[in-house]
Amino acid sequence: MSAMTETNQGSVLDDVRKALGRQNTLSPAPLEPFLEPTLAIDARELGERFIQEATAVRAQVHRVPDRRQLVQKVVEICVNQTGEVAISGAELLREINLPEELTARDLSTFMGDRAGHEQMVARLANCGVGVTAADFAIAETGTIVLSSDEPNALLVSLLPPVHIAVVRSEQMIATIDEAIRRTGSERMTGTNPTRSVTMITGPSRTSDVELVLSIGVHGPKELHVIILE
Amino acid sequence: MLRQSRSPIRMTLANPNLTQRSHAALENDVLQGALKRATDTFIERRREAITSVADWEALRQRARLVKEHTINHLDYYLEQLVTRVEAHGGKVFWARTGEDVSKYIIDLARARAVRSVVKSKSMATEEIELNHALEAAGVRPVETDLGEYIIQLAHEKPSHIIVPAIHKTRAQIADLFEEKLREGRPNEVAEITAMARKRLRNEFLSAEMGITGANFAVAETGSIVLVENEGNIRLSTQVPKIQVAVVGIEKVIPRFDDLSVFLRLLPRSGTGQKQTAYVSFLNGARQSKPESGFEFHLVLMDNGRTRILADEQMRESLYCIRCGACLNVCPVYQKIGGQAYGWIYPGPIGAVISPQLQSLKQSGDLPFASSLCGACRDACPVAINLPDMLLALRAKAKESDIGRKPTEQAAMRGIAFLARHPTLFALSGKLMRALARLLVRDGRIQSAPLSPLRDWTDYRDLPAPRGPSFRQRWKQKDVK
Repeated sequence: MSAMTETNQGSVLDDVRKALGRQNTLSPAPLEPFLEPTLAIDARELGERFIQEATAVRAQVHRVPDRRQLVQKVVEICVNQTGEVAISGAELLREINLPEELTARDLSTFMGDRAGHEQMVARLANCGVGVTAADFAIAETGTIVLSSDEPNALLVSLLPPVHIAVVRSEQMIATIDEAIRRTGSERMTGTNPTRSVTMITGPSRTSDVELVLSIGVHGPKELHVIILE
Repeated sequence: MLRQSRSPIRMTLANPNLTQRSHAALENDVLQGALKRATDTFIERRREAITSVADWEALRQRARLVKEHTINHLDYYLEQLVTRVEAHGGKVFWARTGEDVSKYIIDLARARAVRSVVKSKSMATEEIELNHALEAAGVRPVETDLGEYIIQLAHEKPSHIIVPAIHKTRAQIADLFEEKLREGRPNEVAEITAMARKRLRNEFLSAEMGITGANFAVAETGSIVLVENEGNIRLSTQVPKIQVAVVGIEKVIPRFDDLSVFLRLLPRSGTGQKQTAYVSFLNGARQSKPESGFEFHLVLMDNGRTRILADEQMRESLYCIRCGACLNVCPVYQKIGGQAYGWIYPGPIGAVISPQLQSLKQSGDLPFASSLCGACRDACPVAINLPDMLLALRAKAKESDIGRKPTEQAAMRGIAFLARHPTLFALSGKLMRALARLLVRDGRIQSAPLSPLRDWTDYRDLPAPRGPSFRQRWKQKDVK
């Protein structure tokens, strides 16, 4: 920390304390936890609710019964696109041999391994599809949650015009408060406290021109969520 | 009866006052149409969205409690936030003023040979006019939110917190893009979006620094939380290696778990969405190894906020989460739009915080631009008591020289004098009724020769005075 930073830190914090009428920082008793009143969602209906909400914000949701059909579905989406298929470092995607399966069908893939940041960004910007897994999904809003624990997930899900996210049905949770509790406690106790998390609800959108909805302004124009049962 | 002004105030001053700016807005048909559409749409979407939570009022009261608690212990939570951010490899800079912020960022840009900066919609950096400072220092700032990009190309000021370019039609934007981008004229909204996407994608890939604000900063974890729909904030924070967040000191919240209440309230209040397309939770530098070249700088900005904090009556104006709901429901905003407020914070919240962040001298007229109907307080997701603060600011303006109009003071002294002299009071009433009758045409007073009566009759008719006065009827026991 530079000398200037320290001086300023003193002055702004001093001003804050002065405004609050004290000279030393006071440690507050934390607020009582808040039990949020929520609309209950039956555990058996999580998948249905997710599909309903995600579809309402123009995500395309697919359900597949097994890993073979999961690969099939990814291939089906990718063959309609031009450019390479970028694949994040998610374990699930390695387990189903996605890179090999796509290569076998004449689709070129990009894993982002070992590339420097600038090179990776430049190459991802030219990819047609990005495939990631998701940490979990939130039924009440049709949201998927990705984190930087999954190598390259945040960029692979952002730069190509089409994003495919794979989520297992047991990763479905009901509400945003559950998602926040989970993300927060992972952050507090996890080995990597600097992990970044992104919640994604539908494709990129804007209504900045005459309030007309326009899809795909900066992020992906298409979002596919594949639920693996 | 409402009608078009017959004697519009002419724009003769370089720096028009609130009344003149409002007249200009009222006479702009394009703006009136856009404002009606925007505010109607947002009110309806919000109304629908809040039915999707179990108990909206309970959420509001909780959010208010969290904000109240945090603001009353701001010193503690700021210290905690700074400790966490630094532990994660981020650098923290405390800025007393807007100039401090600009200087820090410019010094950083120079030290890292930064030529262009991608910016994501941030009220804090607009408040301090960071773009001007960057340009003057030879660093090119590019606004990347579509609405802000349009505003930047047009060299204008935003008219709404959530949809900054709402005052412009698609045809005007098409003309603007054709002139400035020289890639033809985009005819549809989708073409406008595609053209901006292409142009801005190149900016993202070449910029060395990304600057954002923050919706929330979590003390417990040192997380910066950003809420958006377009993806430009994700690109600004993930693509350039140097990331700077300019954050007002009031944005801190204690715990990560506190976020769920705010993430339910903010999208529903702002755009009427259950959730925005993207919510990012960022913690410090992306890789803690210094040789990776990733940097995260958190700039904590005071710029007048401790002044608000010191005033217990006004302190709750720091609870604001910048959703824009109070703008949409305000009958004054609905007619005059954001630019008439003269600074970047419009609507009821703007009328409360602008005079405090700037000065009563600069924007002490804003608190008078309110009917005090209370719709803003009802719509506010943190239940800020805006009408009471508007009243308090009016009192402050009247106490100082700024709000004191000689004519108004003379009139008040006159009325006070008459009220103490019953005979004169009765006589003056008689005189006024007689004068008023001279102005009656077709049973109404349609135009008056002098202000302040003319200010009324310019837009509305006054009914003609009728029959005897109240005092006469009282004497004759004619009062029921």
